[in-house]
Amino acid sequence: MQASRARLFKEYKEVQREKVADPDIQLVCDDSNIFKWTALIKGPSETPFEGGVFQLAFAVPEQYPLQPPQVRFLTKIFHPNVHFKTGEICLDILKNAWSPAWTLQSVCRAIIALMAHPEPDSPLNCDSGNLLRSGDLRGYYSMARMYTKLAAMPKKG
Amino acid sequence: MVSDSITNASIHAAPNNNNNARDVGKKKRARSAKLKQCKLDVRREQWLSQGAVKNKDYKAEQNGVVEELKDRNNHRPFGNLGMRPGGGENDGSIHHHHHHDIDLDSNSPNSLTSSVLGSNYSETNFTGSSSSSSSSSGGCCSGNITEDDEGGGDDGCLDDWEAVADALAANEKPKNPCLESPPEHDPIAQSGSPQETTIGSDAPSFGVENSKPQCTRTIPKASGNGLAWRPDDAFRPQSLPNLAKQVSLPNSNRKHYGCGGVPWAYSGVVSAPSSCPICYEDLDFTDTSFLPCLCGFRLCLFCHKRILEEDSRCPGCRKPYEHEPVEAEASVHGGSLTFRLPRSCSLITRS
Repeated sequence: MQASRARLFKEYKEVQREKVADPDIQLVCDDSNIFKWTALIKGPSETPFEGGVFQLAFAVPEQYPLQPPQVRFLTKIFHPNVHFKTGEICLDILKNAWSPAWTLQSVCRAIIALMAHPEPDSPLNCDSGNLLRSGDLRGYYSMARMYTKLAAMPKKG
Repeated sequence: MVSDSITNASIHAAPNNNNNARDVGKKKRARSAKLKQCKLDVRREQWLSQGAVKNKDYKAEQNGVVEELKDRNNHRPFGNLGMRPGGGENDGSIHHHHHHDIDLDSNSPNSLTSSVLGSNYSETNFTGSSSSSSSSSGGCCSGNITEDDEGGGDDGCLDDWEAVADALAANEKPKNPCLESPPEHDPIAQSGSPQETTIGSDAPSFGVENSKPQCTRTIPKASGNGLAWRPDDAFRPQSLPNLAKQVSLPNSNRKHYGCGGVPWAYSGVVSAPSSCPICYEDLDFTDTSFLPCLCGFRLCLFCHKRILEEDSRCPGCRKPYEHEPVEAEASVHGGSLTFRLPRSCSLITRS
C-alpha cells in the first residue's frame, strides 16, 4: 500500500515536471484518490484516429507496480483490440507482459503505439478485426474514422 | 600497504626516469609538488630503508645481468610490483608505463614518491620512467636510488624532484632501456603482494615512484629492458594484470593500465542508477552493489524481495530470477564495485 502510494506520488511529480516533454499525453490524477488516474492521449498521425483526443481511465491496484494498472478507454473507439462497449484494452503489457519498470506514462505511450499498430489476430472488437483480417483496409479506416469524428473530436460550432 | 608499495615503486622507477623525468618532470612537478612533498618525506624514509637492501640486491643483480633480472621479474608475481622494494625496480618499469597513463590522474602521488626516492632525480624520472616503462632495471635503479637518497634526498628533494620529473618526462622513453632491478630485489619486493589492492589506488603512485631514480643509471642496461618491459607481460603483469582484472579489461598492456586507471575510478561511480526504477527510492550502497539479473537491471533489495514473492521475474528483461546465479553475479559486481570505491577513495585522499 505504502509502496504503491509512494511510487504513484513520484510518478505524479514526474508527470508534473515533464508535462511539456510529451505533448501527446496528459496524465491527471484524481483529486481525492491517488489510485485513480485519467489520461488524455492524441490519436497518432497517419491513422484514422488522427486529430482525436481519447480519454483513458486508470485504476491502479494497491500492489502496483508489481501488478499492472487497469486501463480502459472512456472514449468510444473502433479498434480491433479495444472492446467497443466497455473500452477494455487487450494489450500484453497490461496483462502477462507487465513489468514493474513500466509507468503510467509509458503505458500511455504503449496504447498510442497500439492504436497505430492494431493486432487483428487477438481482437476484442471482432467487427474491426475481421475488416483488417479480410484485407478491407478501406472499410476499417472508414469505420474508425467515423467513430473518431463522432466521439473523439470536438464538435465544430 | 599502499604507501609502502608506492615508495618502492617510486624508488624503482626513479632511477630509470631520473634523466627523462628531469626534462618532462618540470611540468608535472607543479601539479604534484604539493602532494609529493608530503608523501615524499614519508616515502624517502621507506625508500631509504628499502633502498639499502635494494642496492645490495642491485649489485648482485647487475652482476647477474639483465637477463637474470628479467627472469626474476617473471618469477616474481607482478602483484608485488608496487609493494616490494627490491622487486620495485622491475615492477617500477612496469609501473612507469602505467604511471604515464595514470600520471594524469595521479600525478601528485607519483611525484611524491619520486621525490622521496631520488628527490631530484625521481621527479624528472617520473614521466620518463612511465613512458620508458622499461627503465626499471633493478640493479641500476637500486644503485641510483641509494645514491640519490643519500645526496639528493636531503637536499631540496622536492624542488629537484620536480625539475627532474620534467626532464624525465622528456627522457622517459629513452631511459626505458634501463635494466630492471635484479631479480633478487624483486623477490624482496614481492613480500608486499597486493596486486588487487595496489592496482586500484596504488598503481598510479607506484608508477611514479618507480620512474624516479632508477632510470638514469639503469639506462645503459635499458635497451634490453625496454624490450623486456614491453613483453613485460611477465614483468609488468603483476601490476597490469591487477588493473586489467579490476577493470575487467582483457588487455594487459601498459597503456590499458594507464587508461584503465583513470577510467576506473570514474566508471565505478557511473554505472548504477541513483534511484530504484521500481519504487523510485534512492539506492543505498548495498543496493548499488546489488545486481540481481544478468541483464543489468538494478533495483533496490526491497523491491527485489517483493518481486521474488510475486512473479519473480526481472522487470528489465522479464526473465525469471535465478537465485543462485543472481547471487554469484551480485558478488562479482560487488567485487568490482568495491574495487572502484577504494580507488575513488584513494584518489580523494590523495587530492
